Amino acid sequence: MSKEGIVLRDVSLTYRRRGREPLDALRGIDLEIGDGELFAIVGPTGCGKSSLLLLVSGILEPTAGEIVIRGGSVAEARTRTDFGFIFQDAVLLPWRTALENVRLPLEVTGASAARREAHCRELLAFVHLESFADAMPHELSGGMKQRVAIVRALAHNPSIVLMDEPFAALDEITKRRLHLDFLEVWEREQKTALLITHDLYEAIFLADRVAVMTPAPGRIKAVVPVDLPRPRTLDMRDSDRFVRQARAVRELLEG
Amino acid sequence: MGDALQELREHYGPPLQFLVLVIAVWEFGAWALAIPSWLLPPPHRIVLRFLEARNLGYHTLVTLFEALAGFALSAVIGPMVAAGIANIRFLERGVFPYIVLANAVPIVAVAPLLTVWLGYGIAPKVAVAMIITFFPIVTNAARGFASADYRILRLMQSLNASRLVIFRKIQMPTALPYIFAGLKISLSLSLIGAVVGEFYGGGDKGLGYLITATAAQFDTPLLFVAVGILAVSGVGFFQIATFFERRLISWASAEVAAQR
Repeated sequence: MSKEGIVLRDVSLTYRRRGREPLDALRGIDLEIGDGELFAIVGPTGCGKSSLLLLVSGILEPTAGEIVIRGGSVAEARTRTDFGFIFQDAVLLPWRTALENVRLPLEVTGASAARREAHCRELLAFVHLESFADAMPHELSGGMKQRVAIVRALAHNPSIVLMDEPFAALDEITKRRLHLDFLEVWEREQKTALLITHDLYEAIFLADRVAVMTPAPGRIKAVVPVDLPRPRTLDMRDSDRFVRQARAVRELLEG
Repeated sequence: MGDALQELREHYGPPLQFLVLVIAVWEFGAWALAIPSWLLPPPHRIVLRFLEARNLGYHTLVTLFEALAGFALSAVIGPMVAAGIANIRFLERGVFPYIVLANAVPIVAVAPLLTVWLGYGIAPKVAVAMIITFFPIVTNAARGFASADYRILRLMQSLNASRLVIFRKIQMPTALPYIFAGLKISLSLSLIGAVVGEFYGGGDKGLGYLITATAAQFDTPLLFVAVGILAVSGVGFFQIATFFERRLISWASAEVAAQR
């Protein structure tokens, strides 16, 4: 974690709205996310945490401040296709099989056909879907779809994975299984991952560090390092250490 | 085998029974009330007239050709215009309102003008069929092209995908079910277009001409025959469209079924 993955320096974002007061979405955000770090941001809904993802990926420009991605600008990172996205819903293309959905980023970036096929099958195997490679999305459960979406985000080998509440639409049991699947993939691939979530338990269980945001305008209230060894296991969620840290984060969120 | 027969009977039994009932009442009523044939011909007279009519196949083919030619033009041009409207802001803001406006003009008001421009032949009928089929295809297709999920578009943009690649891989397949919905509506409308063109466009060919001519001559049985052929053709068109829709975009119906 010596090298820096994503750095935000005094970043602010103001939405200009026609006929109404401008809306301060983010104010004075300072963050340093290490290369290969799994960094979570928790905050109440409407605190601008999703706007933060749009800024990092260059879809929005900050009103003030600077964003540095792996030592360069956001535009350079876009040119390198440094970003993989995981959304709240899987957003698979319904006319493509699971394998073809995972392959989509590779078709765009122009990898060779042979590499694509083998690579995508391997990725599906990471999330235990090797036997569903040829299934259509409507034949998959919600959890399976989201697992396809997770490996689709990794297909073109981006160095940064941006996740916007990727587990929020799943039931509790599926969610916990997917946490483990995701961690397994992440530990193997060693990507920088930025996880946006409103579930503080999820944030603590997955992340290396958790940033707590305030309601609008969003500011970073505190960054809490998670004191849990890796690989993480489900029984850690019942440990005293986990409960203590969850309470600390919850008090930050509420206080 | 027995099951298939059973299924056929369940599917077609009730409508057939009802048809037989209607024909029986009609036949008996026309006889009992002594309704003259030029006012309401009994079913058997219509059937006899159908069997002895000449040139019926010719008139039918002319109308079907006009309808399908107009439909084909719209089916080719419509999605292209829609793709433009969905992707080029000037076309959406500058041109689309006039397409909507043009659609609001009753087609019967335009048909005589088309005759002035294109003469008494087949051309103005094809034009009417095209105009009437154009709008549903364009509006449905434009909605389809624009309905790609913004998140998947964002994902494609982050991969530096060109607009052409985004169109081919995302927008076009997304729009297909919408385009088909438009085509299906338009295929039925195309027959109306051809007949309206024949009504108001002069000429001496087609089922529309046959209807006006037989009405003027009080040859009501033949009029019923012409209307019957139009009804059967319309149903046939719809069935053909549904068949192709199922074959070509099976994923769409499966997706809808999965959401239920």
